[in-house]
Amino acid sequence: MQYFMQLLISGLAIGAIYGLIAMGFAVIYKSTGLVNFAQGEMTMITAYIAWTISTTVSGNVFVVALGAIVAAVVLGLVIERVVMRPMLGEPVFATVMVTIGLAVILRSSINFIWDAYPHGLDVGFGRTIVRIGSIGVRTGQIAVIATLLLLLAAIWAFFRYSKIGVAMRAVAADDRTALLMGISATRVHALAWAASSVIAGIGGVFFALSYDLSPAMFQLGLKAFPATILGGLDAVLGSGLGGLLIGITENLAGGYLGSGMKEVAGFAMIIVVLMVRPFGIFGERDIERV
Amino acid sequence: MIKYLATASLLLAGVSLSIGAALAADPGITDTEIVIGDVEPLTGPPALLGVAASIGHKIAIAEANAAGGINGRKIKYVLEDDGYVTARTIQGVKKVTDVDKAFALLGISGSGQSIAVMPLLEKSGIPTVIDVAPVKFLWEPPRKNVFVVGQSYEEGIIHLVNYLAEKNPGKKWGLITQDDDYGITVRDGFDTVVKARKLNVVYSGNYKKGQQDFSSDMLQLKDSGAEVFLAGGIIGENIAMMKELEKLNIKPVVGIFWPGRVEPVLKLMGPAGDGIYAVDYVEPFAGAAGKAFLEKAKGLLPEAEMKGINRYSMTGYAAAKVLISAIDRCGKQPTWACTIAELEKTKNVETGIMAPISFGPGVRFSNQKLQIMQSEFSTLSFKPVN
Repeated sequence: MQYFMQLLISGLAIGAIYGLIAMGFAVIYKSTGLVNFAQGEMTMITAYIAWTISTTVSGNVFVVALGAIVAAVVLGLVIERVVMRPMLGEPVFATVMVTIGLAVILRSSINFIWDAYPHGLDVGFGRTIVRIGSIGVRTGQIAVIATLLLLLAAIWAFFRYSKIGVAMRAVAADDRTALLMGISATRVHALAWAASSVIAGIGGVFFALSYDLSPAMFQLGLKAFPATILGGLDAVLGSGLGGLLIGITENLAGGYLGSGMKEVAGFAMIIVVLMVRPFGIFGERDIERV
Repeated sequence: MIKYLATASLLLAGVSLSIGAALAADPGITDTEIVIGDVEPLTGPPALLGVAASIGHKIAIAEANAAGGINGRKIKYVLEDDGYVTARTIQGVKKVTDVDKAFALLGISGSGQSIAVMPLLEKSGIPTVIDVAPVKFLWEPPRKNVFVVGQSYEEGIIHLVNYLAEKNPGKKWGLITQDDDYGITVRDGFDTVVKARKLNVVYSGNYKKGQQDFSSDMLQLKDSGAEVFLAGGIIGENIAMMKELEKLNIKPVVGIFWPGRVEPVLKLMGPAGDGIYAVDYVEPFAGAAGKAFLEKAKGLLPEAEMKGINRYSMTGYAAAKVLISAIDRCGKQPTWACTIAELEKTKNVETGIMAPISFGPGVRFSNQKLQIMQSEFSTLSFKPVN
């Protein structure tokens, strides 16, 4: 039982990180109809900025958190304004290709701006090991699970009750009609990119706290994307839960079926789920595939 | 008689012309300059080794240039980034040979990339010294113009596992490797010793390249009761494994391989990284030879490049020293043929950071002597052990 519990907790912790990044994918898709293939790279850039703040400005957890959020907002807004807005109205395929190009540029920038060495994000929090019986868990892992759950609740409330949230849903449903209703689609898009960057960036910072920073971190995006597909590409909350499911499945498969199955299990589950529900567990039926 | 003399004269003239043409055909050399080319991963995660190796080359080249160059010719270093993508390695080698007209090559990128460019190197005949990723295919069979400085991955692992087996008789073993050519080589070396010594292997894992979370793998290791563990990751993977072991509250005897033996790793592992065994053929930076190397680099490198130094800078430096020394021995008019001949004559060349380097007729691999080291968290360094 302890073996199972240890696998479950570790799976929830890594799954929460996948979930946060997956939510980033879904926020952009829901608002713009676009799959952002640079999501993992944006996550990585935010984490590197957090590390830079911690080593040059202050190692205080609040300063680092605030700095990282501001940096993520700026990153999302700049990408939307400079790279994505000129692509408005262009074919989806071309826009998706732009995000792939952006991913390559952001990935390479790590070596130009920082370096290829792994770095640890030390903010005096997250690395302490808490033991419950023989089960060990780091405080950062507990925090990322709690953060995901809080964000899920906050985002549900945001889309359900706030004016901006409703506007975002309106643009996602039909941007022309939304425009006729006085909603600025470009403003909604900018907000979506900023929000997506922040949510995924939080996942990246937690990953850096629990593991480390390295130029390979962008691969988190590749793990989180299946979580989005599983939860539903247009379902922000579903994507978060999809991340948890992928994390748990991976860990249980790795623990019971062997190391080699760990990376395969999540994708195997997606194939099965998509055969039954092609739009994901929580997704809506009329998703445009790209 | 006159007819014979005329024919002989014509033949002599022809031979002279063909020799002249051959001399002129060797590119990358002018009255003032010799071009040395290199292709390395300078972006992406493997930049950790590519950047460091290129820094090692730069140190040796700067040292030679500061001493007047090679027989009066300054060395120009042309470096291409392949991003650890084999297709780009091939493009890069073509670029430095065809466009930049390199006289000789150093490097070249990872093991898979070196293997992929081998036909190109053989066909062109350019003198090449490989130093980043020594694998048997690069010297077996020996290629006329390709020399390899280092030690084979397989031998390295055999040396490490033999050492750990001698120090930990009768213990249970665990192993995890990456699912690529690197992992296969590590596993082959491990299996060789397992068979020879009949080691009791209770855990054998295989992870996918790029995996970052090792919680289930290390839990399996713990559950198996392994007491000696060979962590077959490279950099980030080994860090993640050590942190998981710390979280699971177990501390087996751990061995890692030289690609992961870079000092910053110890800081990231924290106390969990204390006492880890490693194998290598270059000197640790904590020793006198390592300190002297860093001192030398300080005088020859810009400040910004100093932080990129690691063990691969040492292997790069040694390879470049051997190549420069061979070209130098060819005198005022070095050619590819002479450089290759002189590389073959390389005998006990001292670099100060590894055992003396030698090649020989039909021997294209320097077969460096190995040593075991142990990490010390308090000083964030590796130190040789007996």
